[in-house]
Amino acid sequence: MSYQFDWSQVWQHRDLILDGLLVTIALSVAALVPTLIVGMLIGTLGASTSRAGRVAAGLYVETMRNVPLLIHMYVWYMALAFLRLPAFLCAVLGLTLYSSAYVAELVRAGIAAVPRGQARAAAASGLRPWQVQVLVVYPQALRIVAPSLASLASQLVKDSSLASVIAVAELSYQAGAIEGQTFRTFEVYITIAVLYIALVLLISFAIDHVPGLRARRPIARIADA
Amino acid sequence: MPEPVLAAVVPEVIRDNLPFLAAGFAMTLRLAAVGIVGGSLVGLLLGLLRHAEIPVLSRLAALYIEIVRGTPLLVVLFVCYFAIPALAGYRTTAVAAASLGFVLFIAAYLAEDVRSGLRSVPSGLVRAGLATGLTRWQAFRLIVLPQALRRIIPPVFSQYVRLLKFTSVASVIGVRELTGSALLVNAREFQPVAIIATAAVTYLVVCSGLSLVGRLLDARLSIRT
Repeated sequence: MSYQFDWSQVWQHRDLILDGLLVTIALSVAALVPTLIVGMLIGTLGASTSRAGRVAAGLYVETMRNVPLLIHMYVWYMALAFLRLPAFLCAVLGLTLYSSAYVAELVRAGIAAVPRGQARAAAASGLRPWQVQVLVVYPQALRIVAPSLASLASQLVKDSSLASVIAVAELSYQAGAIEGQTFRTFEVYITIAVLYIALVLLISFAIDHVPGLRARRPIARIADA
Repeated sequence: MPEPVLAAVVPEVIRDNLPFLAAGFAMTLRLAAVGIVGGSLVGLLLGLLRHAEIPVLSRLAALYIEIVRGTPLLVVLFVCYFAIPALAGYRTTAVAAASLGFVLFIAAYLAEDVRSGLRSVPSGLVRAGLATGLTRWQAFRLIVLPQALRRIIPPVFSQYVRLLKFTSVASVIGVRELTGSALLVNAREFQPVAIIATAAVTYLVVCSGLSLVGRLLDARLSIRT
């Protein structure tokens, strides 16, 4: 190997890398919150008793997740350029529409995994329909799908790298900029790969150690007995 | 389709640039095919290594899987296009680097599916096989592996669909696949709505088709317990 390593150039540009890292985190959080909300709503619709609701939710999920994320971003940034949305917002919209389809599928499966008797018992005990959902169904459904939701969150962090193509100055974008100035190709890309891995590990560490986030078995099927 | 119907449905800018876009679409299919075939082989190998618990090799496979799963595809492609060739001192093309990147990337995800499939086969089946006089290798090849692979058809096909969508990211390193060609056509014609919408619909149709194939295969081959 004739390649000469030179990590000092990466260190010199640490401020750019840090900026990029912060934008990546901001973008991920800004997209994760609406992703979870939209995903919960569509997932609930998909698990509802209304046939039209299930069909509509299914259509949303199939359409959104069968189009590449990159195209989602170009839709907002280029096809709908006349809206003049800032690039960051385009990235948030693209990430949200794309990822919420995956969240919706998870939430739907989680709700389906909660024994029917739970909701019936709750209704019989006098809870209103929304109370049944919020107090009885959601807490159990979310516990069941918590590990998958966590891996979806780290997926979203990694997917946010595609925002670099519409000129959002996140980590991958800064890496390209530094590489263009210094030509320290290997050092730059290994550095940001390590940073992404660190972010993903941080998420899975948080899931394992923050009480309440860890997956627990659904409550015993007393109501189905 | 008769000419007038085609003219009504397909925008003029697409018909004018059809050969160029079709070539891009062919490249998308080619990249996906290479990724699916190569990634499945490497993924199967890694999954077997993980499952077999061979002292050093299994740990190395686990490390590889963790690293790749923590890295965004965009960064994997940059590493394959810029970093590895710079380090190892060889020249590569965008298409070759993208193909390599897709194989390395999707293999890490498929390996985990293979491993969970292998773990899901009840050990009683192996013992029953051994009792009938099969050797360990025969029991693995004839009983465990076929059942494991038939059980993991849904997650494997969702990875295949994911890969098919992710081929769009190759446009970032300059591969003229569907997204790359669409962007070039748009740079010339500047009709982003028609061009991006056409790309989106094309991906939607192909990805839905591939996931339908997965569902049909699963319905035919899966083992319900």
